[in-house]
Amino acid sequence: MDVALLFFGVIGLLLIGVPIAVSLGLSSILFLLVFSDTSLASIAQTLFEAFEGHFTLLAIPFFILASSFMSTGGVAKRIIRFSIACVGHFPGGLAIAGVFACMMFAALSGSSPATVVAIGSIVIAGMRQVGYSKDFAAGVICNAGTLGILIPPSIVMVVYAAAVEVSVGRMFLAGVVPGLMAGLMLMITIYVMAKVKNLPKGDWLGWSEIGASGAQAFFGLFLIVIILGGIYGGVFTPTEAAAVASVYAFFVATFVYRDMGPLKDKPRAANGGEFLRNLPKYAAETVIYFVPSFFHKDTQKALFEAGKLTVTLLFVIANALILKHVLTDEQIPQTIANSMLAAGFGPVMFLIIVNVILLIGGQFMEPSGLLVIVAPLVFPIAIELGIDPIHLGIIMVVNMEIGMITPPVGLNLFVTSGVAKMPMMAVVKAALPFLAVLFVFLIMVTYIPWISTALPNAVMGPELIIK
Amino acid sequence: MIDRLEEGLISLLLGLMTALTFANVVARYVFNSNILWALELTVFMFGWLVLLGASYAVKKGMHLGVDAIIQNIMPGPRKVLGLISVACCIAFSFLLLKGAWDYWANFANLPKTEGRWFPTGFEDRFRGQGWYEVDDIPMPGALRWMEDVFNEGEEYEKIPRLLPYLVLPLSMALLLLRFCQAAWGIWTGRITQLVASHEVEDDEIEAAAEVADSDNRADGTKG
Repeated sequence: MDVALLFFGVIGLLLIGVPIAVSLGLSSILFLLVFSDTSLASIAQTLFEAFEGHFTLLAIPFFILASSFMSTGGVAKRIIRFSIACVGHFPGGLAIAGVFACMMFAALSGSSPATVVAIGSIVIAGMRQVGYSKDFAAGVICNAGTLGILIPPSIVMVVYAAAVEVSVGRMFLAGVVPGLMAGLMLMITIYVMAKVKNLPKGDWLGWSEIGASGAQAFFGLFLIVIILGGIYGGVFTPTEAAAVASVYAFFVATFVYRDMGPLKDKPRAANGGEFLRNLPKYAAETVIYFVPSFFHKDTQKALFEAGKLTVTLLFVIANALILKHVLTDEQIPQTIANSMLAAGFGPVMFLIIVNVILLIGGQFMEPSGLLVIVAPLVFPIAIELGIDPIHLGIIMVVNMEIGMITPPVGLNLFVTSGVAKMPMMAVVKAALPFLAVLFVFLIMVTYIPWISTALPNAVMGPELIIK
Repeated sequence: MIDRLEEGLISLLLGLMTALTFANVVARYVFNSNILWALELTVFMFGWLVLLGASYAVKKGMHLGVDAIIQNIMPGPRKVLGLISVACCIAFSFLLLKGAWDYWANFANLPKTEGRWFPTGFEDRFRGQGWYEVDDIPMPGALRWMEDVFNEGEEYEKIPRLLPYLVLPLSMALLLLRFCQAAWGIWTGRITQLVASHEVEDDEIEAAAEVADSDNRADGTKG
């Protein structure tokens, strides 16, 4: 009974417009003060230990920072050029290229809305020019953008890993196969639609264009190699990988691509010969501007933007950890699990319930916020029922993806309607056909654990589950 | 002015955290050594960043939340709900301020407050814990004066715990202040809600979209 009060407290406060962090924190504090003998001092301690005791969480600001450096327009433009060169000549080519670009960009940034803004603002306009309808363009990008949280590195996955204490490396690996699968399913859908509706296709630009654009995109895409290679090669911890990635991203954006910082107005030569001749000059410029670039206003702006996001996200997480503390102390998930088992509910029924809770919640809340509330409650139940924690994580992430494109609080919908300059409801309608594809994908991911667990188990060995 | 200070601090802390973690990796692979205190210092900066940033986020109305309902009701009830929710926030920061003080005070040889919910006075007798040090971060020379003040002149090898934990009472006091200001803002009608609204983001996105548009035109758009 008292537990029900706790949850009604959280949800009630949320709905009347109290910030998520305060809803979580205040409900937990009141619960602890009334029903236990925990002192306020030890609650304050829990708040600080969110940072002191969870090194995994430290990866979040660094991933946010890396994606903040990578989100300057130039990187997205190069990736789009590369993906048009690769798949632009298929029927519906530009749309497929848009999905492909979103997948690649997802691997650079850990966030979905960032992917939509970076890729969508260029691709949607481009698609309109070659004769796609605005709705189709917006629908494609809005959906493909959600891959941002499924394809590693992903901030939502780090949040999950930290909230339930599973390995970040495993979660990232688990996202690879589903991410590629979801991308492929979207591409095939577009291909079929393009055949039926006779949508425009681009020209095959030849291998040389693939080579040239690939070389341009390489420096950006190498970031994935640093992160994943570094983590699985045992070179870095995930946190260090994220920090190295953000330093690398800063360096590439400032000195290689020159999209920001002191060298922004001195672009490099595009053609190869001239580029080689000027190479010493570029090297000299890099050395001269090395120190000033740290203090350049673009760098400060990227740091500040990333810092802002870190603050709001982590303040929610820190308070969610107080709630987690309550749940653990009161053995609430175990009680629920036992009563579910007693009522004859198995894992299948449980996963349906989880899906429904997340789909509803995802329509009102931002993914990381929802995840930190639901994960600590659902996770122990899943373990009791014998569900793989990594599999559960991927299910949750895919649910969040769908939540991002369903009203009223589909973040991607807002972003897309801004980028495509069309009303919210029009975007919702435009996104529907592809949303259906993601739904099928969700069902597959939910009931075929192999999709998520095969790769991590193959690379990192079978997992030990401690109840 | 204060905005600039807070914004600078947010950028600076995040920049230092990144640089320090990166430097530690470089130290390990290039110089084959380890900056022993890097992780601990990074974690403390992380805590400072988020806890101090939280009050800045209140001031700027950036906190994450659900505005689906309050966006769709009449201004009257909306103001009432706004006042109720800001009252909850004030209660939250007040309780945590008491908790933060109680947790920090002994580390700084100061008395805790008494009372479970509300501070009813300071405790008479307590054992100061000013001697308590952190695990790894060495004591810089500039802070030696703290030895006389907090440790009866005895030497600190590592920085005392009261330093990193100082952020708790500090940030909660700031948070309380900002929520009180927000309450006044809602009362006078200057602001209508505490949580971030999606309309604000729209402006930023449109700005980004326009930049991309002009780029497209300049490029003649491939494909």
